[in-house]
Amino acid sequence: MSIVLVGVNHKTAPVEVRELLAFSEKASTEGLRGLVDGEIIREGLIVSTCNRVEVLTATTTEQLHLGTQRITEFLDSARGLPTGFLSKHLYSHTDDQAVRHLFRVASSLDSMVVGEPQVLGQVRRAYSLAVEAGTAGRVLNRLVHHTFRVAKRIRTETGIAANAVSISYMAVELGKKIFNSLKGQTVMLIGAGEMAELSARHLVNAGVGRVLIANRTEEAARRLANEFGGETIPFDQLAEFLPEADVVICSTDAPNYVVTEPLTRHVREKRRNKPTCFIDISVPRNIDPAVGNLPNVFVFDIDDLESVISSNIREREREAERAELIVQSEVMQFQQSLRAMDIGPTIGALRQKLQELARAEMDRHRNRLGSLTSEQETAIEALLMSTVNKISHPVLNQMRRSHEISDSDTVQALRDIFGLEE
Amino acid sequence: MRPLLLAVLAAYLNAAIHSILAFVNKRRSLQRVAELSIAAGFILHTAALIADWAIDGHYPLFYLRETLSFLAWTLVAAYGLILYRYRAQAVGAFTMPVISVLTFIAILIRSGPNGEPAATGVGATWFFPIHTTLWIFAYAAFFVVFMASVMYLLQERELKLKIFSANFHRLPSLSTVNELATTAAALGLTLSTVGIATGMLWSSTRYGRFWHNDPKEIFAVLTWLLYLLLIIYRSSARWRGRRAAWLGVVGFALVLCTFFGTRLLGGYHVFG
Repeated sequence: MSIVLVGVNHKTAPVEVRELLAFSEKASTEGLRGLVDGEIIREGLIVSTCNRVEVLTATTTEQLHLGTQRITEFLDSARGLPTGFLSKHLYSHTDDQAVRHLFRVASSLDSMVVGEPQVLGQVRRAYSLAVEAGTAGRVLNRLVHHTFRVAKRIRTETGIAANAVSISYMAVELGKKIFNSLKGQTVMLIGAGEMAELSARHLVNAGVGRVLIANRTEEAARRLANEFGGETIPFDQLAEFLPEADVVICSTDAPNYVVTEPLTRHVREKRRNKPTCFIDISVPRNIDPAVGNLPNVFVFDIDDLESVISSNIREREREAERAELIVQSEVMQFQQSLRAMDIGPTIGALRQKLQELARAEMDRHRNRLGSLTSEQETAIEALLMSTVNKISHPVLNQMRRSHEISDSDTVQALRDIFGLEE
Repeated sequence: MRPLLLAVLAAYLNAAIHSILAFVNKRRSLQRVAELSIAAGFILHTAALIADWAIDGHYPLFYLRETLSFLAWTLVAAYGLILYRYRAQAVGAFTMPVISVLTFIAILIRSGPNGEPAATGVGATWFFPIHTTLWIFAYAAFFVVFMASVMYLLQERELKLKIFSANFHRLPSLSTVNELATTAAALGLTLSTVGIATGMLWSSTRYGRFWHNDPKEIFAVLTWLLYLLLIIYRSSARWRGRRAAWLGVVGFALVLCTFFGTRLLGGYHVFG
């Protein structure tokens, strides 16, 4: 059995092609039922996300070429694309390469943003669809579970997902760096734009205790307040509430500084030096950069955030190199476990052993038979072999069945009965 | 107990290497190896100290060798507490090498009755071992203040400049190191206060006077004053940040002078 993977991703195909190819959940289960024929393509799974469409199969090794061709045709026809339309976007991997590819995809090493957390969930979903469609068998079960383990290992052992790579998440990261935990801290939103909302959502998820919202139009402020269980404060009373805030996210479209240096001096005094983290995502800036010169006040404008993010991305890429090594060693491990899973050699050995026994007996008694014509000799040989095969047939079948359901005890018992060495 | 101390050194070195690797690579498995090594080293070290006490017949905190060993032991205990209380594993990458070096020197030095004044007589009252022990604890606390302050300054600088190095994500947060420095400074001040008091009591029972005007004493009082200042400064606001951290760093220079005071400038104090 070979593992074959055929697909397109954001590197090989533009979005126009990917969107043509995308499989809904329903299309995915139906497609799989059509693709998996039990002969050449034994098992199948479809990963379809906005960045990739990939078909993963377990295919009979002898029919590998035909199998790959079938999958390609399947991708063309499933979406009614002209034959050959996809050929310049498709990649196909077999065995080691396919396993490696899947490991990299699930660990988010192949993603547009390395380390993004969604793709593992998408692979998980693809697997449960395949289970639903009844097209996940022994090989894919094992492969997918191994994949989950690899993804988890990479996530915990490397820092590919460690540092924030989005502006909205930076507030959480900086808040944690300064206050250790955001639990019970107070965040203030000045301006209720989309970016502020996104940041606030991350902060609330990180356990922020209070959300204060100041906006020129109170309606938008109230909407956000409802969403996060926050409190609205009048925009002109900003100075009164500012000392209560630990993290301040500023995103108004005001043309001048909303948070000035004298205001911040007052805030600092009221806070008895407790640090404040100002995040200014507005352009033009709403926080006077001079504020950042005050002790225990940290100010980040949009450029600062961008530059931190790009250094975080570089850091993730460095970590990704370590992740690749883990993938490498896991591919080898998976290969080994797959080999242990293969019943073929055992069956071959058993059949050969029985045939050798028959031939040896024939040789021993040959002289008693007197002279025979070559046809007679062939007939005797054929008779012996068919007898041996008839006798061993149910045994081999039982072995295959036991192996199919991972009943290794029975397989071992049969091996022992026939005296097969490891 | 040199063979035992060698085993201790091996455990600490192993812990130091794994702590540094865990710091660089952020691998939990490495950190676990480090922590197990530290635990093993600490148990062996405790046994070595007790064995020293039993065999040599005096409290194992008199000669330089003993002092360094005891200091290393205290620092390990301090790191254990920090790990337990703050989960600040990065501290290990900084402390364990120092602890290893201290242990190594303690093994190298063959100071004893021939090289240095005899230990006889000093242990006559229980003030003396208490005085020395408290000071060792205080030294360890001041070292923690120093280390936390350095971590604070490194990160504060990066936050202000908005350039984050690779270490940035590995060090404990500002509030953690700030709290750690404050707590350790308060502890160090308390310990050294009682340390000075017991020293004076001991001196008065043995020599009939509280004060000898020797360099170690003068430095000790200066150190004490500086950390008193630091505590007052820190407690006058909710958070002090950079200036307090600088005080913690500079203060440690004074602590080193106190520790090595006799070596450098003579005086009637010996180590401990």
